[in-house]
Amino acid sequence: MSSPEAEIDELLKAVRASPTYLNLWSTYKRIKGISLERPKDQQKLLRLAVIGSSTLEPLAACIDVMARLEGFHVETFVGGFNTYRQEALATTSDMYKSRPDIVILCVDLWSMLDQKFVPSFVKLGPADRDASGRRAVEEIVSIAKTLVGNCSAMVVTNNFVVPVYTPFGVVDNKQMPGLRRFVTDSNEALEDALRSESRAFIFDLDSVAGDFGKSHITNWNTYYRGSVPFSEDFTVVLASEYMRYVRSLKGRSKKCIVLDLDNTLWGGVVGEDGYEGIKLANTYPGIEYVDFQRALLGLYNRGVILALNSKNNPDDVQRVIREHPYQVLREEHFAAVRINWQSKTQNIKELAEEIGIGLDSMVFIDDNPHERELMRQAFPEVLVPEWPKNPHLYRQSLEQLKVFDVLSLTKEDLERGAMYAGRRKRAQSEASAASLEDFLRTLELKIHVSFADDFTTPRVVQLIGKTNQFNVTTRRYTDAEVVKLRDSADSSVYCMQVTDKFGDEGLVGVAIVRKKAKEWLIDSFLMSCRVIGRSAETAFLARIVADAKKAKVGRVLGEFIPTKKNPPAQDFYERHGFKKMGQTEQGVVSWVLDLSKQTVKVPEWIRLIEG
Amino acid sequence: MAGREEKLNEIISKILLLRADQLDDSIRRKDYEPWDSMAHLVLISEVENEFGVFFTDDEVVEIWTLADLRRVLATKF
Repeated sequence: MSSPEAEIDELLKAVRASPTYLNLWSTYKRIKGISLERPKDQQKLLRLAVIGSSTLEPLAACIDVMARLEGFHVETFVGGFNTYRQEALATTSDMYKSRPDIVILCVDLWSMLDQKFVPSFVKLGPADRDASGRRAVEEIVSIAKTLVGNCSAMVVTNNFVVPVYTPFGVVDNKQMPGLRRFVTDSNEALEDALRSESRAFIFDLDSVAGDFGKSHITNWNTYYRGSVPFSEDFTVVLASEYMRYVRSLKGRSKKCIVLDLDNTLWGGVVGEDGYEGIKLANTYPGIEYVDFQRALLGLYNRGVILALNSKNNPDDVQRVIREHPYQVLREEHFAAVRINWQSKTQNIKELAEEIGIGLDSMVFIDDNPHERELMRQAFPEVLVPEWPKNPHLYRQSLEQLKVFDVLSLTKEDLERGAMYAGRRKRAQSEASAASLEDFLRTLELKIHVSFADDFTTPRVVQLIGKTNQFNVTTRRYTDAEVVKLRDSADSSVYCMQVTDKFGDEGLVGVAIVRKKAKEWLIDSFLMSCRVIGRSAETAFLARIVADAKKAKVGRVLGEFIPTKKNPPAQDFYERHGFKKMGQTEQGVVSWVLDLSKQTVKVPEWIRLIEG
Repeated sequence: MAGREEKLNEIISKILLLRADQLDDSIRRKDYEPWDSMAHLVLISEVENEFGVFFTDDEVVEIWTLADLRRVLATKF
């Protein structure tokens, strides 16, 4: 008999080739019979809870297996039929005992209304209709808030499907409110009520159902026989949409699009067809490429990094990018560029290093199937979407990728493009400086260290969730946990902002300190890889050490927990004079700084601002 | 006919978690643990979807063995 892991891999291989409802369901049931140990890496563990007003095991099964296909170890809790109120209200419920990372609350609007509500809707007065809608929304909001309050999970509740059928017929939108308006109003009220709950999200079921085709979202046989709310094929689509939340929560979202040029950003080959000969225009033909570039610009503007990887003559390309009247993406939009004749796999490796992100955060878009295959074979961790031959479908293909989600758009997301432009200039200036210190002196670095507050906490949580490289312990904390640490007298959450003459990097560092009378333990210390190499971490640590001295603490302790990705932080404590205290079998090293003998100084080229 | 038999066996084996060589017509709901009410619901709807047929409520309730399923399905063509 093979090992449980091998057995599961075999099952997943089969379902990956054909992820139908039948195969997903069967795989879920088979895997449930295999006992597996939990992974050591918390980021690989997904605890999922699905509760609601109907039979939701099929939906939970599909999400469970899809998450496994993306490398998660999944523990799934499925609530019983219509038991969501008890699960949410009783703090000792089985659902809370499962300690979920994510709770999917799936409730149907009609289940909360009187059974005669729809048939009598035409006869109800506006006041009665409003009151019923308000009650239903209030109930769902109160359940969602209860869930947020009672556990640290992310809560995802769906909105309601605006019905295609209405008893009013064509005058549904002449009546106030018509049945459809009644539902859209309820959806709007739901959004407004949960907007300020940072851990509650609304799954846009109406929009997903509309895309799928609302008359196909229910299989009336399973609906009546077993209260299964969604048809088989729609369940699969829903599960893949719910996966977007899982990916964002677990730091699996993609951060960067690496683009080919010829026949990808414009039509034709610039080296052969020439500057005037390529297809790129505000009219047909050529508008499809402009449209695709605009869609990319939209992603860039909300924080997705763009890079170029093309086999071309750099001069030909430069002319198009700088001068072509219809080129949308200009030099300033690309964080890094490789235009040469070496292999694209070598190029993408260099791009990842230059930008400072992992290959697993990258998406590679190329019209050439041969290049795509080479990339997939060399780097399976790079997402290489199948790309249509027809350029009219480029924009739609990009919009259907759905892998760039973030859970909150921070100031840093919106300004990321400008930061990378600043970094390119910085790199040019570094190349011309005589020594690294000379270069750092010219940067006019300012480091602002403060304690996390309501305003900065969303970004702090975001950084804790996604920083992999310069991260000494890679401990992930939820929004609620950070707030608790921040507000407790026994711990502090520090954050660091970095500015230099080329631009504002924003909030790029976080440290969590657990305080005892005689010693402080640095529980977490992490910094965005964007600012590695400027000694910002030294200034940040100096502030913490200075605070420890002020508090009359004898020593500061640190830990280093090695992961595949954090070698950049490996020598952090040693570099700053900490002494090694010990090492566990798993490679966890503990460090100590004796404050009676040692300290950490702010580098002279950095101005430390305290707030 | 052979294609239909094959497809039906595939559905049964996937839902009832049986290997192809374990598909015994005498396997009986209630005696065989994986064939619970949820599996029955999924089994019936997958067969319906695959073959474009509909099972009445009485038929759904009276399918007790794999032989029953095969017999009732045969009446649909």
